[in-house]
Amino acid sequence: MMSMPRIPTRMIVPSLLLAALIVIPFAAPLITAEDPIKMAVRYRLAAPDLAHWLGRDEFGRDRLARVLYGGQVSLTVAFVATSIACIVGTFFGLIGAYFRGPSEFITTRLSDIVLCFPPILLALLVVTLFGPGAGTLVAVLSVLYFPTFARIAFSEALRVTSLDFVEASRALGTPSRRIVLGTILPNIAGPLSVQYSLTAAAAITIESGLSFLGLGVVPPAPSWGQMIRGARQFMNQDPLGILIPCAALVLTIYAINFFCDRLRDTLDPKGGAGSGMDDVSAPLALANAPAIDDPDVVAMITDLRLETSRYGTPVAVIEEVSLTLRANQCTALVGESGSGKSLSSLALMGLLPGAIRQASGTLQLRRKSGDVVDLGFLDARTLEDIRGNDIAMIFQEPMTSLNPIHTISGQMIEAILAHRPMSKTEARSHAIALLKRVGMNDAERRIDSYPDQMSGGMRQRVMIAMAFACEPRLLIADEPTTALDVTIQAEIIELLQSLRQDQASGLSLLFVSHNLGIVADIADRVAVMYSGQIVEEGLADLILRDPHHPYTRALIESMPSSHEALHSTGGDRLPAISGTPPLPSARPSGCAFRDRCPIAIASCAEIRPQLYPSPDGERSVRCLRAPEAPGGLQMSRTEAA
Amino acid sequence: MLAFISRRLATAVVMLLVIGTIIFSLLIIVPGDPAELLLSTGGGSATPEAIANLRSTMGLDKPVLVQYATFLYDTARLDFGTSIVDSGSISSAIALRLPRTLEIIVVGAILALAVAIPTGTAAGLRAGGRFDIAASAVNALLTSVPGFVVGTLFIYFFAQVLGWLPAGGYVAFAANPAQHLQMLILPSVTVGLHLATIVFRMTRASVLEMRGHDWVRTAVAKGLRRKRVVRRHILHNALGPIITVVGLQLGILLGSTVLVEFVYNWPGLSGLLVSAVEQRDYPTVRAVILTVAAIFIAINTVIDILSSLLDPRIRLQ
Repeated sequence: MMSMPRIPTRMIVPSLLLAALIVIPFAAPLITAEDPIKMAVRYRLAAPDLAHWLGRDEFGRDRLARVLYGGQVSLTVAFVATSIACIVGTFFGLIGAYFRGPSEFITTRLSDIVLCFPPILLALLVVTLFGPGAGTLVAVLSVLYFPTFARIAFSEALRVTSLDFVEASRALGTPSRRIVLGTILPNIAGPLSVQYSLTAAAAITIESGLSFLGLGVVPPAPSWGQMIRGARQFMNQDPLGILIPCAALVLTIYAINFFCDRLRDTLDPKGGAGSGMDDVSAPLALANAPAIDDPDVVAMITDLRLETSRYGTPVAVIEEVSLTLRANQCTALVGESGSGKSLSSLALMGLLPGAIRQASGTLQLRRKSGDVVDLGFLDARTLEDIRGNDIAMIFQEPMTSLNPIHTISGQMIEAILAHRPMSKTEARSHAIALLKRVGMNDAERRIDSYPDQMSGGMRQRVMIAMAFACEPRLLIADEPTTALDVTIQAEIIELLQSLRQDQASGLSLLFVSHNLGIVADIADRVAVMYSGQIVEEGLADLILRDPHHPYTRALIESMPSSHEALHSTGGDRLPAISGTPPLPSARPSGCAFRDRCPIAIASCAEIRPQLYPSPDGERSVRCLRAPEAPGGLQMSRTEAA
Repeated sequence: MLAFISRRLATAVVMLLVIGTIIFSLLIIVPGDPAELLLSTGGGSATPEAIANLRSTMGLDKPVLVQYATFLYDTARLDFGTSIVDSGSISSAIALRLPRTLEIIVVGAILALAVAIPTGTAAGLRAGGRFDIAASAVNALLTSVPGFVVGTLFIYFFAQVLGWLPAGGYVAFAANPAQHLQMLILPSVTVGLHLATIVFRMTRASVLEMRGHDWVRTAVAKGLRRKRVVRRHILHNALGPIITVVGLQLGILLGSTVLVEFVYNWPGLSGLLVSAVEQRDYPTVRAVILTVAAIFIAINTVIDILSSLLDPRIRLQ
């Protein structure tokens, strides 16, 4: 941000447009030799001709010259005033931010007060005292706008001064003046330049408005506002008289605004919004779904592939993911952040972010009615019926997952009424019963509180109560304890366990987590994900006790709670997995884990490992060196130890 | 809640006091004799008798603190004194014209909200879509047209070229309701247009931001209908920031109303103000500006109270 090597493409058009509109008025003597003030009443309102391209105004003055010279006046007033406001304001803001104390009060409060005044009224007040004129205008506008600059400079500088590198240079003894000029100023230049163009546009508007009222630039000096004022009486005979200055004014303000918008976008690029309400794009091609015969199977993901688009080419973020979720079973989906475990679970809810598309695979669900549906094929209405009713979900962040402006009762009741035909009173007592079930004391009273009046643990209990409201067949818990204190974590896990066992309809729990300690407590089956693929899957006991994939093994070894494992390996430090997972767009050939794998061999770079099942079918692993893999590549026992 | 309201009202009173003081002190900090300054026209200076006369009418001959106390006392009683031009009561002039200005603003604001909130929501929900791109482009253009330019162009097209509506003027509602409403259309649309561009921009940004929040995902995950998610978990949350910004922008709106009234010859506060500025009738200018500032503060106080009803977090602070 400190140095801009070249102008971004998006800035070229607005910059050129703005530059042209600023330069042209000042090039007036090169364009026309006419005098904007010289009257020739004989030719009043004359139509355009070769010598006077835009005709003449009500006093016979050349209109082209007046538009150009009027532009000079408007632009000069606006830019001089804005520059003064910007320099003075930035100065005050920086002083306030750097030295704090009373100067801080002045810079922040002053702008609050000035903001209360409609700017044009304050201008009128001053004009009453000092009389109209360009000088008065510049003075008024700079006084009006400098507090805004001060406030922006103040808050931006405050943000920058707390950054590490500023602290560092202060600690190194760099003089204050050098820090402010050399470090802070370049860093706050972005927001200030946005404000500069905004203010310039506002100043032109006010200048032209006052001139239009006859209280701004004093005739005979031309100004756009004044030209419109003068031409108003003759708009019938001579519509050009109003249209030309109006066009000049609008075009100039538009060019500044356009420039400002693009500048803001360039300086502060905000990507697409988050997860909430994005539209899920329909899948392109779907494999034939195998029928679910086993009545115990609640949901089945088959060969799921999710893609995002990078510079127009599709990039797989999830590949070949298959997972079977059974009633009365807890399946844990484990992996580092970015491994694709959350995306897989969101796909089941039909809640994928807009940028991610289901490219192939099926997401089958057995509904409460017994019907098996493919979630990728459903219309929005049916999907709404399924969410919260057949599948429910608990999210990671209880602090932000509840709407802060509605009461708990409001949010619970709407969840119940979405799927259950009952009265509001019935729904409310159902909600209270649910809250009691999740262990909320004083549920009758607390149900009417707002989320902000509750702790994180309490809110997560509310989320759980809400998820159980309609007795779903499948509950997805996406890192439900990650954001909570350790003691609360245990309580929440215990609660989930007991609720799971209580629910008569046979709940299937999909537990997404990176915490193997919790997984060991709760899960019946484990699926380990790495870089968008399942690398090992099977019975939880089997896998956690005797991992076959080097990644699973590394995960277990890096787990702080596995003390036995720690002592048995003889180390006194937690081993970390070296390296970072590859980006979806830069996955290596062959095995995605090979760059970080301690036992990788040459074949790992060439052969893309499949998910190899064990002979008894209890587990499968995606590793060429695992015992399940075909061929003679297995690692020896000694290597494993 | 009551505590919040009373705290907010107290703040409003303090703000008024500060603004009143600033406006009052402008006369004091002006270099030279304000009476002389106000009576000077171009090159010629006024006679000493006229200046002395004005000094005593405006009370400028009294000590500053006495002037200040009198000013505060009179303002609190809504007695703004008399015009130095025609000696008429300023308060009754304002009382006559204020309702007309409020009429334009209220009608304009209703039109603006009715158009800009739905379009802004639609654009925000599908940001980057075709509707959003088109609506945002139109909005960017409209933002760049000052109110008096809109007014002038409206008069040209709707009154001169098409002849659909009167070019301006005013008839009391009681005298001729149909004509009154006809004359109301262009001024209020002009004022509303400006506000609508701001509300659109704000609604779009606010909806776009709220849309990404976790609680929206929760609401979708609960299986709520899309309409309900938009209404209760996006729009309801977005409304707070929208009305707060609108409240702050009302200052600019009140300012642009001055120009719009002037364009359409609508005899509201601005006619009083503009002629007072032209004639350098400082007491009248001061009274009108105080009135407008009071309206601005009152509206923002109401908005703060409203948003505290919308968002419990403000109340609970």
